Amino acid sequence: MKKLYTVAALLSLVGLADALYLTIEHVTGQSVRCTIISGCSAVLSSPYAVVAGIPLAAIGAAAYFTVFSLAILTLFGYHWAGLLMRGMVITMFAISVWLIYLQAFVIREFCQYCLLSATITLALLVVVTLNHRLHRGN
Amino acid sequence: MKRILPFIIILVVLGAALGSAWYLTRTIPASPTVPNQPAQSPASQGSPVAQQQTPVVQGVPGAEPAHVLGPADAPVKIEEFGDFECPPCGIFHPILNQMKAEFGDKLQITFREFPLVPTHQHALAAASAAEAAGLQGKFWEMHDLIYDHQNDWKKEFDVRPIFEGYAKQIGIDVERYKRDMNGELVAQRIFADGKRGHSLGVKGTPTVFMNGREVPFENLPADKLRVVIQNELRSSGK
Repeated sequence: MKKLYTVAALLSLVGLADALYLTIEHVTGQSVRCTIISGCSAVLSSPYAVVAGIPLAAIGAAAYFTVFSLAILTLFGYHWAGLLMRGMVITMFAISVWLIYLQAFVIREFCQYCLLSATITLALLVVVTLNHRLHRGN
Repeated sequence: MKRILPFIIILVVLGAALGSAWYLTRTIPASPTVPNQPAQSPASQGSPVAQQQTPVVQGVPGAEPAHVLGPADAPVKIEEFGDFECPPCGIFHPILNQMKAEFGDKLQITFREFPLVPTHQHALAAASAAEAAGLQGKFWEMHDLIYDHQNDWKKEFDVRPIFEGYAKQIGIDVERYKRDMNGELVAQRIFADGKRGHSLGVKGTPTVFMNGREVPFENLPADKLRVVIQNELRSSGK
């Protein structure tokens, strides 16, 4: 139980770093030059990278920070936080699926850092689901 | 203590995240702006232009003969490494045209192919199309059409018919163009330009050299590039 929440906290920290990096790329426009390794310029400069004037990456960073906080709170015995975290992770996963769809079929460019974020969210979903099962098992 | 410990951890992470974001957004755009920029030209008052401290580079030769616009004795020689599918290259294209219109014979422009193959699915086809047109003496016409219509073709599944349409439009022998596009000569030219790019340390596009020095990417917008060219003209004494 506790181990899983620790894993979730660590995963969300990686997600937070990734989303922060993307936010900085977005805000400073450093990714505007095209390079061999990254399709992030096309993705970050697409209209989907901004929601209501806020860079999507910043929203992602806030979401990862929230998941991290909830995981820490759960670790310290606040059980309501675990429930909230589950809802949060499921929502983030659904959004990630939509964003991968956009990259694959609409923008037609993949941004590695965006894919990393989706992978972390998937891992978080696995952790949260495992937790839920264990919890019910007990 | 145990009651407030989670909140301390959360606050520390929040602080670290906000702090690093603040720090990085402050330091990343640190271009070496020149404090004592000569204020002789009115255009240089607008925005700071990073001084050209990049070294003069030679590199291995690219494809010969290169695609060159403007006189060989022009005081300012610009060499662009471009990828037709790269959005900032598409943005840079009209800027370079504008510079050409403003500076005329003082400017010589060379285009080098630098298709970013794994990143851009059609970049190689676009480079091949321009080179194939070049074998019939219409490189720049094709180059302009491909750049101007970047948004029309880049999301298509098959771009070859579109480029064939451009070939018809510029009045070249389409059958020969189709053969050349897959031919050895075109491949060799793109490869040679790529080799030159790598030898000059080109990592992305557009990368622009002016009289052998790399122009920093942040100086490529029209208002800054104009100042960079003016400075180069002044230092060359013409």
